[in-house]
Amino acid sequence: MEGFFQALAAGLLIGAVYGLMCVGLGLIFGVMRVINFAHGDFMMLGMYAAFYLFTAVGVQALFGNTVGPFVAILLAGPVLAVFGYFVHLALISRVSGTRTASLEGEGHYAQLILTLGVALILQNGGLIVFGSVLASIRTPLSSSAWELGPFFEMSIFLNMARSIDMIVSLAIMILLSLLITRTRIGKSLRAAADNPTAATYMGIDVDRAHRTAFALGCGITAIAGGLLATNYPFHPFVGLEYVIVMYAGVVLGGMGSIIGAFWGGMTIGLVQQMSTLILPTQLQNAAIFAVFLLIIFFRPRGFFGRMVERT
Amino acid sequence: MLRIEGLSAGYSAKPVLNDVSINVGAGQFVAIVGPNGAGKTTLFKTISGIVKPSGGAIMFDGVDLLAVPPPQRAHLGIAHVPEGRQVFPSLTVMENLEMGAMTESGRRDWQSNIERIFEWLPVLKERRDQFAGTMSGGQQQMLAIGRGLASSPKLLMLDEPSMGLAPSTADFIFERLIDIRRQSGLTMLLVEQRVAEALESADHGYVLEAGHVVLEGNNDTLRADDRVRKAYLGM
Repeated sequence: MEGFFQALAAGLLIGAVYGLMCVGLGLIFGVMRVINFAHGDFMMLGMYAAFYLFTAVGVQALFGNTVGPFVAILLAGPVLAVFGYFVHLALISRVSGTRTASLEGEGHYAQLILTLGVALILQNGGLIVFGSVLASIRTPLSSSAWELGPFFEMSIFLNMARSIDMIVSLAIMILLSLLITRTRIGKSLRAAADNPTAATYMGIDVDRAHRTAFALGCGITAIAGGLLATNYPFHPFVGLEYVIVMYAGVVLGGMGSIIGAFWGGMTIGLVQQMSTLILPTQLQNAAIFAVFLLIIFFRPRGFFGRMVERT
Repeated sequence: MLRIEGLSAGYSAKPVLNDVSINVGAGQFVAIVGPNGAGKTTLFKTISGIVKPSGGAIMFDGVDLLAVPPPQRAHLGIAHVPEGRQVFPSLTVMENLEMGAMTESGRRDWQSNIERIFEWLPVLKERRDQFAGTMSGGQQQMLAIGRGLASSPKLLMLDEPSMGLAPSTADFIFERLIDIRRQSGLTMLLVEQRVAEALESADHGYVLEAGHVVLEGNNDTLRADDRVRKAYLGM
């Protein structure tokens, strides 16, 4: 019983970060309909950005070992957002948005090849620049825990770093929801996602909306990456391990639903941690996909699939 | 206000519009009628910039419209109520109207515009928090018109507002349009297949067939024309 609650807690903690990671991808897919294979590698860049901001740029000296990593992680968001902005400007915009709106398949083939190419360049470029040694953003909090309880003679231990990761994820998620639902920019992003042509008639620059979504998506996933890096070591090819989870989360949440992507990621985190109760750890990912298939079998639209199709 | 001269446009080598010239004066209500495939929607898409013309010129309010990027055209005062309504399905009615008011003038006049829109189309007020995608065709059409009005346009372009609607709903929408025009004096350009109604309410009409303007005139001239009577009015 204690094991169950411990796994549940661990699942919620990691699930929130997975959720944030999926939201970054879900935002890009939801607004632009671009399948971004390189998203895991943008996350890898986010991890390294946080790492170097912490160790090399002076965040460690300024904020110390406890707060410093989280400051660096939050700063990695804007860094990757700017990077994403320019990647969209230079590359992605050429095969998406209004330029390809009238093409058959809306340029999806070119998008697949392009983002796959970007992924390869980032992975191998990362290998050249960062090397193949495992890196990590350790904080003293990574190896300490809060004890909840005892309730009914059970105590649950919450890893401090992961708990803060969850709080940061939820905070960003709330800010993003407010941005998407309440602000003019957020509403115009949703309008551009719903019907790009009609959005143009309203005076919304759809390509600029896409660029905003892409930059935001990269920034958000970068922060999620940095948060994961407080507990998991990383390397230039780490994106591959996560991009599958991201897509599973986005599909589970319902393609096109931004909030859904968060719950999709949360589900994956929970399944991954709970599965350790009955399965050997090597089968964690197999368990994720078994549950994934099961959910999709019963609910093909995902949790929050659009109730109305895009016109 | 809107002057289209010798406009040609199409999707491939074969032009859909051929040397089309149309004039809309300030305060006028102009109707363009014609059969399916005559190029009416293509004409509107060219004005809005979704289709690039192969020749000709479009002047709006003294501005060379073809030199203006498509998303900027709404900001000049052109509101396009597109064929098939094209409301934003996952946005609420209110949010759809807000999207209409993305223009500077729409933002400035938001409060007074929204009051008038709700007065003209009360169903939008009743359903302000409903998702647009869950509304009926007629309601969506009213929302599309309201969304166009929310931008405080100088020119309201309506592409077949009666398409796919029950006759009674289409009649209602027509009546509303005439009221809106009478009360606001708004310049309107209407594309319609319901020729009799369109010509009745418009000041000036054009008949577009296979990409050419084959006839133009005020509604008396058009309704007196034998070809129009036979082909469109069934007389």
